[in-house]
Amino acid sequence: MSWWERMYLPEIVRGLSITGGVFLSNLWRWATGRKGAVTTFYPEETRADYAPANRGKHILTRRPDGRPQCVACNLCATVCPARVIEIEAGFDPDDRAHPKYPLRFEIDYSRCVFCGLCVEACPEDALRMLPEVPDLPGHDRDRMWIGREELLDWSPRGDVAKPYPPGGEQVRPGGAH
Amino acid sequence: MPRIFINGHPVEAEKGQTVLQAALAHGFFIPYFCWHPALSVSGNCRICAVEVEGEDLDIACNMPVREGMRVLTDSEAVQAWRKRMMQFITLNHPVDCGICDKAGECTLQDYHYEYNGEPSVSREPKVHATKFFRLSARVLIDNERCILCSRCVRFTHEVSRSRALGIQNRADSSLVRASEDGRFEDDPYSDNVIDLCPVGALFSPSLLYRHRVWYLQATPSVCPGCARGCTVRIWHRRPDWALHALDGRQNEAIARVTPRENPAVNGPWICNKGRDLARIFERPRATQAMLKGEPVALGTAVDAARRLLEGARRPVALVSNWGSNEELEAFQRALGGRVRAFVKEDFSPAPGEPVEDDLLIRADKNPNTAAARALFGDAPPAFEDGTDLLLVWGEGLDFSRLPTRVPIICLNAYLQPENGHADVFLPVSVQTERAGHYTNFQGVVSAFEPCFAKRDSVAHAESLFAALASPPGPSP
Ligand code: SF4
Ligand code: SF4
Ligand code: SF4
Ligand code: SF4
Ligand code: FES
Repeated sequence: MSWWERMYLPEIVRGLSITGGVFLSNLWRWATGRKGAVTTFYPEETRADYAPANRGKHILTRRPDGRPQCVACNLCATVCPARVIEIEAGFDPDDRAHPKYPLRFEIDYSRCVFCGLCVEACPEDALRMLPEVPDLPGHDRDRMWIGREELLDWSPRGDVAKPYPPGGEQVRPGGAH
Repeated sequence: MPRIFINGHPVEAEKGQTVLQAALAHGFFIPYFCWHPALSVSGNCRICAVEVEGEDLDIACNMPVREGMRVLTDSEAVQAWRKRMMQFITLNHPVDCGICDKAGECTLQDYHYEYNGEPSVSREPKVHATKFFRLSARVLIDNERCILCSRCVRFTHEVSRSRALGIQNRADSSLVRASEDGRFEDDPYSDNVIDLCPVGALFSPSLLYRHRVWYLQATPSVCPGCARGCTVRIWHRRPDWALHALDGRQNEAIARVTPRENPAVNGPWICNKGRDLARIFERPRATQAMLKGEPVALGTAVDAARRLLEGARRPVALVSNWGSNEELEAFQRALGGRVRAFVKEDFSPAPGEPVEDDLLIRADKNPNTAAARALFGDAPPAFEDGTDLLLVWGEGLDFSRLPTRVPIICLNAYLQPENGHADVFLPVSVQTERAGHYTNFQGVVSAFEPCFAKRDSVAHAESLFAALASPPGPSP
């Protein structure tokens, strides 16, 4: 430290002038109706500068009848670098085009890193991430799982690109034709 | 020993070998679907074609080696052929790998990446066929995925000899079907066709959609279902893929059992009982040491058993033939000199179970009778007058057949009513929780490794015997 810095008081004054300057300029911006360093009330409020493509909370898309588009292939769970997706598959022999579906679909938000790889891996457009931020705060990190019903229901979306059931194919039972 | 050239390299083939066998034996890979080392040559999938210099392409699985022949396994003509064959084989294949349990260990999937890699060039709609069609209570077929290699059919004709499967109709209407008299239902080796199927056409309804294979790991083990002692792989969930939100019992459960090829014992096969080892090992377990039915700490129970043994003058032991070689030897070392020991049969054939045949299944439904008898003789248990202590190791013994008013020390892994009747009950580990060896009826010794950790409240019988023989001190 130089002799000037060791004098103590001048440096204190300099520091106060920096913080005070920032404070006053923010106050001025706020008073004139502009966005400054005003705190947003997380999580109720979303910051205005979030990207429209923000990777926020996951959803499972639905088929027209409301059942999940997901085929429980586990590709999302396999690619997930944090290994936070767990899927229990169900079997519906009567649903010819969709015999495998998720009975349970769990994502652990205490460990998800919001990379979006799961969405990219999905071959069915069954999993998406919406810009909305998940309601993360909680008191127990073991209870930050969200499950199939919430993923399907909190913002229901369908897969518009894909006809369902798949068209252009005829079913010939028994292979006889 | 005909000398042939594979891709220019001289190879000493064996007389009577096919080009495919000679190539595989010397580290040259040629793809194959319908050929299988333990089955006859069918030659229907055509993926194994190779070029013989100066001749046309032909299938390697049915091409005998000839002195001086020059085989090319990867020429341009062969590559183009494979690509066309893959296009043809997948013409009506649903390509539903995403929901196919074979994905990850499917030959068709692997070859597609290796030899084709392109989408179908056909614009015809795919021919549909039955899915989840029941061949038996244990095996379903998805006829859309079937590539008609006929391995399953040949297995039932040549190995299990039930002759239960066949192919109906022809061309793209062909269907693998079971005979209608239920022979496939009764084939005790039926599940082998699931492993044999190079695609995911055959599958077990009880395992359907339960696991993706890349979440599983295989531990080498030995089937304890009979004296054959087939070497198997026990598949269970990999620890790095442990489940947290879903049922955690899956992390410590047997996912499936497959054969571990062993020419000295079982070849590439096992019977259906070997597939169902979970039914043996996942019965309710005894995890609590007891004195006359009252729960106590394991150490307390061991001390009590040690005192009983010290005080006894004519103790008799019934030794389990489910004990590993190591456990039997530990028993012999620790207690053999002081205790009169007999070999006990833990299991006898269950009602309806196939007793014995000339392929694998043996009438003795215990894994280690040979080693137990070698140590403790084959006299049936006898309790002479003056017997003042019984040590019963293992299950399957009716306590009412034991002499009355003699104290009993019981070692068992499973929750059974007898446990509470013993004066001292000590819970022990099962095979999937420890390493060891079994000696099969032919004298072949096979090793098994632990799949899961044992609980602290349960002891390994091997260390228990040492503790019972040693002076009081720290318990196992
Ligand atoms: S966003 Fe990334 S970390 Fe989160 S669940 Fe998807 S793959 Fe896993
Ligand atoms: S969300 Fe998509 S990738 Fe994940 S299991 Fe379902 S279908 Fe497969
Ligand atoms: S079911 Fe499998 S093993 Fe049998 S013919 Fe079809 S592809 Fe081959
Ligand atoms: S033959 Fe015996 S040892 Fe082999 S799998 Fe069947 S029961 Fe197990
Ligand atoms: S492996 Fe040779 S034709 Fe199938």
